[in-house]
Amino acid sequence: MSTITIKVNGRPRKIAIEGGETLLEVLRVQLGLTGAKRGCNQGVCGSCTVLIDGRAARACLHLAGLAEHADIVTVEGLASDGELSPMQQAFVDAGAVQCGFCMPGMVIAATALVAENPKPNDEEIREGLAGNLCRCSGYVKVVEAIRQAVHSKGTAP
Amino acid sequence: MPRIELLRPTSVEDAVALLANREGSRCIAGGQTMVAMLNAGLVEPPVLIAISAIEELGAIVEQDDGTIRIGAAVCHRDVAQFSGCTGANAVIREAARVIAHPAIRNFGTIGGALAHADPAADYPTAVVAAGATIEIAGANGRRTIPSEEFFLDYLTTALEPGEMVTALQLPAPEAGSSGHYLKFSRVDGDYAIASVGVTLQAKDGRCTAARLAIGGCGSTPVFDPSANALLLGSRCEETAIAAAAELLVSRADPVDDVRASAAYRRALIPRLLRRAVRHAWSQAIGVQ
Repeated sequence: MSTITIKVNGRPRKIAIEGGETLLEVLRVQLGLTGAKRGCNQGVCGSCTVLIDGRAARACLHLAGLAEHADIVTVEGLASDGELSPMQQAFVDAGAVQCGFCMPGMVIAATALVAENPKPNDEEIREGLAGNLCRCSGYVKVVEAIRQAVHSKGTAP
Repeated sequence: MPRIELLRPTSVEDAVALLANREGSRCIAGGQTMVAMLNAGLVEPPVLIAISAIEELGAIVEQDDGTIRIGAAVCHRDVAQFSGCTGANAVIREAARVIAHPAIRNFGTIGGALAHADPAADYPTAVVAAGATIEIAGANGRRTIPSEEFFLDYLTTALEPGEMVTALQLPAPEAGSSGHYLKFSRVDGDYAIASVGVTLQAKDGRCTAARLAIGGCGSTPVFDPSANALLLGSRCEETAIAAAAELLVSRADPVDDVRASAAYRRALIPRLLRRAVRHAWSQAIGVQ
């Protein structure tokens, strides 16, 4: 067992690892950040998506022990001073949430998409979110939410 | 929790020394397949050698002779966005573009995908079509191997114990050459049901070089120089493509799985090949 420090949502956090822990397990179990969900644990469903150095990443496919120098942002880190990020607010406004399990991953994937491509068209939105599965099949309102976020605000969320 | 010792060598020489000396050790780069396999309990390495910090593995270098060296730890996203993959080498860029999803492409690496050697993955088929060379390091130094000789069987490569992939080397693109990767899958980001990698060269309206590879239809990319030869001298017309397709279908050995039946895959080959070759041909005659 060794102790290392990783940076999560702007704060250094000490974690204890044996080596085989995924970033997802550490976030959820050791740090209590349960926004990222464990769905498939195989990188297929997207419900564990977080940002690593600003890029969308599957928390279940990264070893925490190799994340020492990474800047990690989870859905808990998107809001600032109690204000939802524009993308989070757009999801709320569009009523994009059904059961909600996939939402943290969807919002993070959408945030990463728009950071890279501030004005995605519908096809680019669908492609950017293609790795995030919603078993309620509520995709239409997710696309609407992102469309709303990029066209109403005019700024990257 | 599996106890795994994580090592971070800073040179290829140190990495292969660790591979040779540490029993059961494996390399990890982006981890997009390795960690999924750990999670599924398919592998239990006591030692993982993280190679992402090795500088030379993270670079794409355009060399003076026009060849391109893509380091093993370069992620799919960076290959997909690399503007230097021109002419026939476009097949590599196009394959990188359709691997899995954005979050996977941000971290998954070309060296990892090649060493994993899943015949339904996109890179193996594309690198064979490109006529690329795979650079390998071991305790005795470096060696290179043509891509079509690298893939030996399902998830099995010419890597010897203690060796690792260090780079993909792409030939200098010839004038009038083009490349195209065409993937057929039901769902965006899935493994290919079948895929085609094509590179062609056109001169005076005739095909002067061709490499055809089929993915997802056997234990390795389906490749046969005799099929390539059927396009040489042609204008890549329907009859020439059909003859090449027939030969490749006879070489294919697809399986029935959750995505499609073997018969369906065989039926796809001529259709995808026709589409891919016609696309590449129009590019080749457009750019000569």
